[in-house]
Amino acid sequence: MSIVILRFAAALYFVAAAAYIAYFARPRYRRAATAGFWTLAAAFAVHAAAIGVGCSEFGGAEFFSLRGGVVLIVWLITGAYLVLQRYYGLPAVGAFVTPLSIIVLLPALFGTPGHPGVPPDTLRYPSITVHVVSVSSAIALFAIAFGVAIMYLLQEREVKGKHFGALFSRLPSLDALDRLNQRLVRAGFVVYTVALIAGTLTAHAIWKNAWSWDPKQVVSFGVWFLYGAMVQLRHSGWHGRRYAVMTLIGFAIVMGSMVSSRMLPGVTKHSGDYGTNPPAEVTQ
Amino acid sequence: MSGRELFLVGLSHKSAPIEVRERVALTGDALKNALAELRSVEGVGEAFVVSTCNRVEVYVQAEGEEAACRFFTSRSTAATEHLYLKRGPEAVRHLFRVAASLDSMVIGEQQILGQVKEAYGLASAVQAAGGYMSRLCNRAFATAKRVRTETEIGRGITSMSQVAVELVQKIFGDLKGRAVLLVGAGKMGALSAKALAVLGADRIFVTNRSPDRGLALAAQVGGNFRSWDELPRLLVEADVVIVSTGAPTFVVTREMAALAMKGRKHRSLCLIDLAVPRNVDPACAELGDVYAYDVDDMERVVAQTQEARRGEAIRAEAIVEAEVMAFSKEREARAALPVLAQLRRQAEQIALAEAERTLAHLGQKLDDKGRRSVEAMARAIVNKLLHGPTTRLKHAASTGDDGLPGAAAELFGIDDAVPGEPRTSQAQPAAPAAPAPASLSKH
Repeated sequence: MSIVILRFAAALYFVAAAAYIAYFARPRYRRAATAGFWTLAAAFAVHAAAIGVGCSEFGGAEFFSLRGGVVLIVWLITGAYLVLQRYYGLPAVGAFVTPLSIIVLLPALFGTPGHPGVPPDTLRYPSITVHVVSVSSAIALFAIAFGVAIMYLLQEREVKGKHFGALFSRLPSLDALDRLNQRLVRAGFVVYTVALIAGTLTAHAIWKNAWSWDPKQVVSFGVWFLYGAMVQLRHSGWHGRRYAVMTLIGFAIVMGSMVSSRMLPGVTKHSGDYGTNPPAEVTQ
Repeated sequence: MSGRELFLVGLSHKSAPIEVRERVALTGDALKNALAELRSVEGVGEAFVVSTCNRVEVYVQAEGEEAACRFFTSRSTAATEHLYLKRGPEAVRHLFRVAASLDSMVIGEQQILGQVKEAYGLASAVQAAGGYMSRLCNRAFATAKRVRTETEIGRGITSMSQVAVELVQKIFGDLKGRAVLLVGAGKMGALSAKALAVLGADRIFVTNRSPDRGLALAAQVGGNFRSWDELPRLLVEADVVIVSTGAPTFVVTREMAALAMKGRKHRSLCLIDLAVPRNVDPACAELGDVYAYDVDDMERVVAQTQEARRGEAIRAEAIVEAEVMAFSKEREARAALPVLAQLRRQAEQIALAEAERTLAHLGQKLDDKGRRSVEAMARAIVNKLLHGPTTRLKHAASTGDDGLPGAAAELFGIDDAVPGEPRTSQAQPAAPAAPAPASLSKH
């Protein structure tokens, strides 16, 4: 049932993306941007319903699979973008973030949703809910930062290369993109910190060991250090291109670790049975 | 039928040098007087004059162009050889093209529409322009608006200082809390600094080898003068640097820029070099977060815009053409209407007179209701009889067949088939001075 609702939400995402792209192609049509915003808001609401129904269907087990994670992250990206658009009003960003959401969401729509096993009771800790939600939120913020960084680099190429073509006039100013990127990275870092703390507490409870050199743990702390460094470097005055490139690298690592920990069973305790014994029926 | 139509006599940047244009250009009261003078000429119905620094054009709805020509010849004999004359649809097309900025020096520039609107407003205020000019001008404004919204003719950047503003905007958004530095006291630098003022820079610094001129420029642009030795430090402080000195070598070298970037902690730096020979080492652009532009880069943007606008102008011409056609059709339809009105009036007069006579015969045999029925019947007969001719005349007029209204007038014995415009026709319907809207296609 939830997959049907989700597909409906995806259709709305398509419409919103089309509206934002139409606005980007012809900035004269300001109404397209407005239409994009409200369609996206509708998609967000429908998506929320899909997640709600999914929770009641699978008891939250969905979010232990890559598919469920993606569904949650796209929903959070959309929510975060809607808030951003409300306060900063950069509809051009929508033309980058919305299609990105669709691409991420696409496999979740056509892949067989399957029936994720109910999480083993050993995983039922409040801290794990906090961990999953906060890590998804952080990834959502990093994802938007990724989109904004791409826009920055495109615009930088235009400005520097003296092109002054279509992109030049449509993309926001470098300074606006740079500041937005910084805000997103900073907010993402704070949420990510919460996620790591919750994750550590959960690890301590389930694995009886807060730090077990699990590859996922190592990569996650690496990511945390990277984004932390970015926040810190900003205070000591880093701007511009390097910042955008670091945003891209950070997000690539986040995505890589997220996907590979699911695709390569047995490498990390974040896959399969989550290091619980006896093995439980947690499918991808 | 009196043959009044639209005449245009004028000169523009395309036909006349500035020396001639400035001699015939008029503003304010002088223009009002000239309009009154035009209007007083026998055979001139309505008039309006577009007078800008690039063109002086006299539009008259008249029997001939003599009055409009005299406007120029009485002011400057040299003007004669630069004049162009257009009439009828040609003149209409010209006005539409002017309003749509297709005839401008910089195609697509925004000012001309406002200037035409102002010219019409003035002519209308002094009663030189009436119903005909009102319809003509409103159509011209509508055409200009269509061109602006349906094509991209107004897009792009058309001057060097605008390029600078656009660049700075795309790098910094606005300049609130930022500093602009002028290096050298060149005129171009001052111009660009003034253009940048719209972005609201907080501080402006000026530095120059000779303090005298530097101080003068600083006072002119409202900035602070700093000594020449401070340049490396100023490069750290300022975000936009406009360089225009007379120096034959690089004033801002790559090493200086690299050093400044360290001090700036990679905050973006925009270097605009307006000097020839160049004052900013082009290698500066290789540094990260440094955006350096020279005169050539900026001129290329202007040229690009011109190129793009020429392409859009082709689409704009099609819109103008369609509007000229629509305007002519509208005119012709209007020209047929007086025939119809006259025909109907005559028929109704006859019908009611006959009804009156019948009622007089019948005397008291009819009550009020019966009287009303007889009158209604008379009107109904008129309507039924005229229905066919009415639709056919309207159709003929809208398809541009102007023979039929004339034939109808002839056939039904309507003497003045083309009465004047509503504005004056009530006051003096038979006077020859009443403006007669001759169909534009009659010539």
